[in-house]
Amino acid sequence: MISTTAMIYTVIDGLRGLRENIVTTVLSSLTVAFALAIFSLFIIIFANLNSFVEGMGDRTHIVAYVKDGALSTKNGVDEKAVEKVYKSVAGLAGVVSVEYISKKDAFKILKTEMKDNQALLEGVSPDILPASFEIRLAADKITAKDIRLVVESLKDKPWVEDIQHGTEWAERFGAILGFMEAAAIFLGLFLGGATIFIISNTIRLAVYARRDEIEIMRYLGAPNIYIKTPFLIEGIAEGAIGGLIALVALFVGDLVLGIYIPKELVFILDNPFSLLLLFILLLLGGLILGVVGSIFSLGRFLKV
Amino acid sequence: MIQLFHVSKDYEGGVPALADLSFKIEKGEFVFVTGSSGAGKSTLLNVIFGSEQATSGQVIVDGRNYSRLPAREVPGLRRKIGFIFQDFKLINTKSVFDNVALTLRILGLGNAEIRSRVMKALTYVNLKHRANFKPLMLSGGEQQRVAVARALVKDPAILLADEPTGNLDPELALKMMQLFQEVNSRGTTVVIATHDQAMIDRMGKRTINLHGGRLTRR
Ligand SMILES: Nc1ncnc2c1ncn2[C@@H]1O[C@H](COP(=O)(O)OP(=O)(O)OP(=O)(O)O)[C@@H](O)[C@H]1O
Ligand SMILES: [Mg+2]
Repeated sequence: MISTTAMIYTVIDGLRGLRENIVTTVLSSLTVAFALAIFSLFIIIFANLNSFVEGMGDRTHIVAYVKDGALSTKNGVDEKAVEKVYKSVAGLAGVVSVEYISKKDAFKILKTEMKDNQALLEGVSPDILPASFEIRLAADKITAKDIRLVVESLKDKPWVEDIQHGTEWAERFGAILGFMEAAAIFLGLFLGGATIFIISNTIRLAVYARRDEIEIMRYLGAPNIYIKTPFLIEGIAEGAIGGLIALVALFVGDLVLGIYIPKELVFILDNPFSLLLLFILLLLGGLILGVVGSIFSLGRFLKV
Repeated sequence: MIQLFHVSKDYEGGVPALADLSFKIEKGEFVFVTGSSGAGKSTLLNVIFGSEQATSGQVIVDGRNYSRLPAREVPGLRRKIGFIFQDFKLINTKSVFDNVALTLRILGLGNAEIRSRVMKALTYVNLKHRANFKPLMLSGGEQQRVAVARALVKDPAILLADEPTGNLDPELALKMMQLFQEVNSRGTTVVIATHDQAMIDRMGKRTINLHGGRLTRR
């Protein structure tokens, strides 16, 4: 129906519209950029915290400290008693490995950890640290409940002095992440809705500014898509420009925020996606906002 | 080609602009519509073009009845009609060339053909040297001739012209009439609204006389 040359001209018309309404074009592109940048920043932080917590899940292991004097004879470690504990713990559901860390081992580990401050350890008896069992659970199936079950069954053992595990912390963190997820959906809907509203308003203004031209095109028998395409192009271009600005803004923002955020927290700004993927996502996000915004407007203000 | 059955048009709160009009214009005819100012000439052309709907009666153009024509088929019919509007209806942001070319782009012609046809049409109306001007930089008569070029460039099946020579000196007016005759001799049905009685007498064509929206004998 509509030829390629005709299509090229409608595209050119759309781009001309961008230039004619340069102020509204810039403003709505910036709106798109703002919405996309805020939303992606949120998503990036969320993704990083999420993988941090998942990583924590890997490391979630249970340490059972052995009471001084338990599981030992006068000569040292009671190998048989340790072996027995080994077997009983390894039989618990979800446990993949159990490792006995003797007092000596513990001291050795401490020594390597304090490599730079050896002086502090001088004259300290290797006995000060308790022996322990390090219990690891199957990383993929770990839930707070699994951990609790293992903890419960260890608690009453006579040799146990104390048990340390990351459950509570992980649970609390999980709750925060769940909240963030809900907030992300809400924020996304809100920013998306507001952006679409602004783009559709920009397009409405453009339609209004060119109403005479539209009327004339109708009189010349222009098909509907011929009339609508320039405005669609305008919306798409605003969305795409917004996406690109968002990408730049994220980079600049990353540099600036990186200066003020404590070093330990900088990881939350790492781009969890590849650069290409981030680029594509932002561009796509902008395009979708632009298309939806202009279609929304054209449906309402350019009825046949 | 054009048939009206008992067509009336009432504008809201006004006197009837057209009252019970019935007539037929054959394919390839050349017809003048005349009458004093306010007689309903423009209204009649608009009803034939479909930009105004008849209040009652049937309007059939190229075999299609407007009262039964789906909206999506209106553009197709309009592409066959060249309309020279009384107020020209040029796009002021586009050059003269682009104004005339637009109608061919809508028809889907290629660039090379558009270029040669537009330049030819502009030559016919003595405006080749104004191709790159914007309409508002032209005189009224020049704008009118751009409108003529735009209507003729697509060799329409039907040419509707509302006072196409109103702003032109007699010499140019005659030249436009010759163009209309030429396009008519190639098969276009031509309907021209005018109150230029001298021109009507000179051309010796069929004339539809309106008075208060009704047909009258002269
Ligand atoms: N849009 C409109 N709304 C209300 N009344 C209108 C409208 N257009 C035309 N009329 C009325 O309809 C009648 C016919 O108008 P029309 O424009 O068809 O006359 P005309 O013969 O073309 O006149 P002219 O020679 O001055 O162009 C007039 O009385 C006019 O006031
Ligand atoms: Mg008139």
